[in-house]
Amino acid sequence: MSIDDATTAANDRLADRDDMIVCVDVDKFYGDFQALKGVTATIKEGEVAVVCGPSGSGKSTWIRCINRLEVHQGGDIVVDGIELTNDLRNIEKIRSEVGMVFQQFNLFPHLTVLDNITLAPIWVRKKPRAEAEGMARALLDRVGIPEQAEKFPGQLSGGQQQRVAIARSLAMEPRVMLFDEPTSALDPEMIKEVLDVMKELARSGITMMVVTHEMGFAREVADRIMFMEGGEIVEVGTPEHFFTNPTEDRTKLFLSQIL
Amino acid sequence: MQDANQVSASEEFQRGLEEGQGSPHEAPSLPVGQWLRKNLFSNWANGILTLLGALAAVVALRGVLNFVFSENRQWDAVRTNLRALMTLSYPESQYIRVWVALGFVVGLAGLSAGIWANWGGVSVRRISTWLMGTGALLALCVIVREPSVILGSDGKVIRTVDGSLRRESFMDAMADRSTWWLAAVLLLAVGAALWSRFSDPARRRIEVSVTSVVFVGLGLAILSLWIAPYGHYAYISATKSYVAESGRTVAFSTKMPWTVMLILLSGFFFVGRFFQRGRYLGLVKGSSNVLWLISPLTLFWVVLRDPALDYGHVISTDLPMGLAFGLLGGALLWGLTRSDIGEAGRITATVLLVFAVFNWVAAFFGWYPMLQKARISFLLLALAALLAPNFIGEVAKRRQLVLGWVGVTALVHYLATMINTPSTVELQSTEFLGGLGLTLFVALIVVLLSFPLGVLLALGRTSKFPIFRMLSTSYIEVIRGVPLISVLIFFSVMVPLFLPDGMELAELAAVLTGYTLFSAAYLAENVRGGLQSITKGQYEAADAIGLTSAQRTGFIVLPQALTVSIPQLVGQVISTFKETSLLAIIGLFDFLRVANSVIPAQSEFMGVKREGILLVAMIYFFFNFTISKYSQRLERRVGLGER
Repeated sequence: MSIDDATTAANDRLADRDDMIVCVDVDKFYGDFQALKGVTATIKEGEVAVVCGPSGSGKSTWIRCINRLEVHQGGDIVVDGIELTNDLRNIEKIRSEVGMVFQQFNLFPHLTVLDNITLAPIWVRKKPRAEAEGMARALLDRVGIPEQAEKFPGQLSGGQQQRVAIARSLAMEPRVMLFDEPTSALDPEMIKEVLDVMKELARSGITMMVVTHEMGFAREVADRIMFMEGGEIVEVGTPEHFFTNPTEDRTKLFLSQIL
Repeated sequence: MQDANQVSASEEFQRGLEEGQGSPHEAPSLPVGQWLRKNLFSNWANGILTLLGALAAVVALRGVLNFVFSENRQWDAVRTNLRALMTLSYPESQYIRVWVALGFVVGLAGLSAGIWANWGGVSVRRISTWLMGTGALLALCVIVREPSVILGSDGKVIRTVDGSLRRESFMDAMADRSTWWLAAVLLLAVGAALWSRFSDPARRRIEVSVTSVVFVGLGLAILSLWIAPYGHYAYISATKSYVAESGRTVAFSTKMPWTVMLILLSGFFFVGRFFQRGRYLGLVKGSSNVLWLISPLTLFWVVLRDPALDYGHVISTDLPMGLAFGLLGGALLWGLTRSDIGEAGRITATVLLVFAVFNWVAAFFGWYPMLQKARISFLLLALAALLAPNFIGEVAKRRQLVLGWVGVTALVHYLATMINTPSTVELQSTEFLGGLGLTLFVALIVVLLSFPLGVLLALGRTSKFPIFRMLSTSYIEVIRGVPLISVLIFFSVMVPLFLPDGMELAELAAVLTGYTLFSAAYLAENVRGGLQSITKGQYEAADAIGLTSAQRTGFIVLPQALTVSIPQLVGQVISTFKETSLLAIIGLFDFLRVANSVIPAQSEFMGVKREGILLVAMIYFFFNFTISKYSQRLERRVGLGER
C-alpha cells in the first residue's frame, strides 16, 4: 500500500463519522496584521488532529478561536453543530462542550487541586459536591496523581500541574479537547508524563486538537497532521504521508529544521 | 542624622529579637552570646550604635514614665470621665441599649471567628519569651522611673531651699514599688520555667492554639476587673457629680456586662466551630455576612436611638411606598432580564438613570416635591437596571436580581424610615452618642459599607462596558480629588439643602454616607491594583471551563485580587479608623474631641488635657496595632495558596 493510499484510507475511515469542528474561511486580524487567512478544515468526531508549524504561523490563534478565547472576524466556525456567533448562550454551550489545556497550565492558585477540578462541574453542570469530588478523584487517578488532591497548585511540579489542568478540563466531560502547546513550558523530564496522559486520552476516543512541537507524539497518535504557516493551512495528511513524503516545499523545510 | 542611626539600630535590635524566635523555615537560632556578637557588636561602629540606640530607648522610656507618673498628672480626670470618653452624654438609664448593641456585635464577631478563623498555633517557647520580655520591660520601667516626690502632711510637694522638689531616695523608691517588682519577677520566673521545660529539641515545637491564648488573655483581663483594685470612678449624671473611690474594684455595672461580653464571644465562637463542620455552613456564612452588613446600622439607629414611630405615617406612606418600589421595580427588572429585550433594556436603564439624577437637581431647585426616599430608590433602581443585562438568562438568574432588588428596597426603606424618626431617648445634646462609641460605630459602618461599594466600583472601573467604566472612573477621580473634610462638610451642610421641608437626614447619617462614599473610592483603587495583578491566563482558564462572567469574578478573580491587596486594604481600614477624628470638625463629639475639649472644660478638671489625649492615643494604637498584626497573620496564611 502506497503512502497516498494510506492517506485515502485514513480519510475513508473518518469519512462516515460526524463533523465535530468545521472551520470555513476563518479570518482573524490583529489590527492590520492578518493572523488567519481563510483557514478551512473539518475535524471529525473521535479524530486526533495535530497542528504544527513554525512560531507565528497562527496555530495557537486558530485553536483559541474555536472556543472563542479569540474572536474571528471572517468565516464560520461550527462546533458540534453549534455555530460560534456573538450570542452568549452559544458561546457558553460550546465552552462547556470543549475543554482546553494551556501552555502555562493556568490553574487557579488559590484553590486546592480538588477545588480546581470540581469548580466547573459544581457551578456549571450543577452536580452535587460529593459526586463532583468522586469524579475528580477518579480523574486524578487517571492522570496518575491521586495523592495530590488536597495540595495547592504551587506545591506541584510543572508536569503534575499540567496533568491537573487536563483533569480539570476532563471534569466537564467535554466532547472535544483542545491542547495549546501543552508541553512547551515543561522541563524535558516532565514532558513524557504529560504526553503519556494525552496518548491514553487519544486512545479513549475523544476528539482532540493538539498544537504541539512534539513530532514523536504526532507520529504515534495523530490521525491527521495539519501544517500551518503564515496563517494558512499548507498541508494536511496522515503521519505517514507527512513525515515521509510531504508534497509542499515549506513542509519539507520545516521538517528539516525540526527533526 | 545621628538620631536616625540610633533609631534604626534599636529597630534592628527589635527586629532581631522577633526573628530570633525562629520560624520552621529558619536555621536553628544561635546561642544568645554568639547572636549578640554577630548582630549587635560585630565591629566597634556597630557596638557604639547599639549602645547609643539602647541609651536613646531608655531615655525615651524614662521620659514617658516620668510623664505618666508625674505628681502633676491628674489621672482622676480620665478615670472619672470614662463614661464620657466611651459614650459622652448617652443617658445612664439607657446603658442597657449600649450593652445590647455591643453584645450583638461581639456575638457576631465570635460567630464569624468560629466559622472562619484558623489562627494556627504559637509555640510555648515563644509565649515564654513574651512573658520574660514583658517581665524584663516591667523591671526596667521600675528601675528607670525617677523616685517619687515626697509629699508633706498637707498633701503638697515639699521643696528644698533652692526650689527643687524633694524626692525619696532610690532605695526607698525601689521598696515602694515592691508590688511591681513582684509582678516582674513572677513574669520572669514563669517565662523562664516554661523556657527551660520546652528547650530540648523534642519539645521545642510544641504549640498551643492562638485561639486559646486569646481567650485566656481576655479571660484574665476581665477577671482582673473583679479582683484588682482599679478604683471606682464615675460621673453620676443624676447628681451631676464625680465619684472617685480608689482602691475598690471596678463598678458592678461595668464588670458584669464585660463578663457577659466574654461569655457571648466564647459561646458564639463555639457555635461557629460547631457549624464549621456541619451541613449548614453555607447558610450560616451567608447569614452572618448579611448580619454584618445590616446590623451596625440597625443597632445604631434602632437599638440605641429607640425611634418613636408614627404608625399612622408608616401605614399611610412608608409601607405603600416601599411596597410600590419593591414590587413595581421588581416587575420592571423581571422585564429587563427577558432574553429578547435587546437594546430596549439599555435604553430603559439610561432613561431611568437620567430621570433619577434629574430628581436630585429638581429637588435642589424645588421644582417639584419628591421624598428623598423616592429619589434614592429611583437612583438604586436605575443602577439595578444597568446591571440587568448580566442577569439575562434562566429563570433562577432573573429571580436572583429581582429578589436582590426587593431585599435592598426593604432594607433602604426600613433604615430611611428609622433614621428620619425622632428618638425617644432623652438626649442632652443634638447627637445621641459620642466618645469611643461614636468612633467605633462610624469606623465599623464606614468600613463595612464601603467595602462592597469599593469592590463594585473597582469591578466597574475594569468592566468592559463603557458606561460602568465611565461612571466608576469619574466617581473615583472626583472623590479622590477632594479632601475628606470637604466631603464631610458637604454632606453635613449641603445635603440637607437638597431635602424638601420636613424631611431631614440625621446629620450623622449624612456624614456616614459621605464618609462611606469617600472611603469606597480609595478602597476601589486598592482593589483595582489587585484586579490588575490577575493574569490573562486566569480569565481564559475560567472562560474555557465554562464559568459565567459573574462566577469568574466571584470564584477566580476577586479572591485572588483581594488577597493581593490585603496590605493596602488594611492600610485603608486603619486610616479610616484614625480619620474618624475629623468628625470633630463638623461638630460631632468623637473620642478625641471628648479628651481634647470636653474634659478640660469641666470645672473640676479645668485645662487637664494631656492625660486624656495620652489615653486616646493608646487606645487608637491598641486597635490599629491589633488590626495590623492580624492582617500580617492573614497574609502569611493566605500566602499558602500562592506560587
